[in-house]
Amino acid sequence: MSVWHEKLPQTNAWLVGVNGRLDQSQIPDLEETLNKLLEDGQCHLLVDMTHTTYINSGGLRCLVSAWRRAKADNGSIVLCGLNTRLQEIFTMVGFDKVFTIFGDCAGAKATIRHEKKP
Amino acid sequence: MPDIDTVNVLTVPGRYKEIRRICEFVADGAAQAGFDEDTIFHLELCCDEASTNIIEHAYGEEGIGTIIISYEKVDDAFRIVLQDNGQTFDPTTIPPPPALGSGNESPEELTSQLRIGGLGWHFIRNLMDEVSFTSDRQAGNRLVMVKRLAPKDVP
Repeated sequence: MSVWHEKLPQTNAWLVGVNGRLDQSQIPDLEETLNKLLEDGQCHLLVDMTHTTYINSGGLRCLVSAWRRAKADNGSIVLCGLNTRLQEIFTMVGFDKVFTIFGDCAGAKATIRHEKKP
Repeated sequence: MPDIDTVNVLTVPGRYKEIRRICEFVADGAAQAGFDEDTIFHLELCCDEASTNIIEHAYGEEGIGTIIISYEKVDDAFRIVLQDNGQTFDPTTIPPPPALGSGNESPEELTSQLRIGGLGWHFIRNLMDEVSFTSDRQAGNRLVMVKRLAPKDVP
């Protein structure tokens, strides 16, 4: 289980990944990673959830809080790679209409490369 | 005669790191009862949210008291009970978050504090078949959540 981040090459965006369960054991790490990037002025973020196996309301709150901050800085938070269970959770609370969600992370990266050239 | 399994019980300290144990405990029981993986995911989420509520609202913080969780299967009903000795906090009194109506709500409306605050309970309401809460001075708080096996899942 881990939270990781790296610069998305050829863009001004950052990739943030969550491996394992996005529950109370990892929410503080994700919160810290997202907050640090946003404080550094990095407000175009792609969250790779390909290896995220679980999310609870705290995980959703964490992502929404970062979405608010990014939006206030004219940035964006895009999600990719959600499995069907996670997608169902986002849909159940309407957050599929809040976040731009790509099923495929390669497609998300290609779109961001096209739109967010430095 | 109803098909009654033994009641399985786990007692853990009221700490966030223990919620994973609660989820695993219930997931094992749900798998044995015959639920599919998607429903087990839902049951884990409901137990996670209910346990978080106990720590945050009944006890007010971590390390104040214990959470006793038990499950049993009676016929097609999988019955989960969470007990604590914190302040009475009846989650069934939490108003539902403003409904998703027209489908034209703005992202700001969808993420308003009012909606975000009650998400955990929103999941419990929507994913469980029955939910009830009782509280008394001696037995403490008791949240009962029931999920019924779909006919295709009944062993």
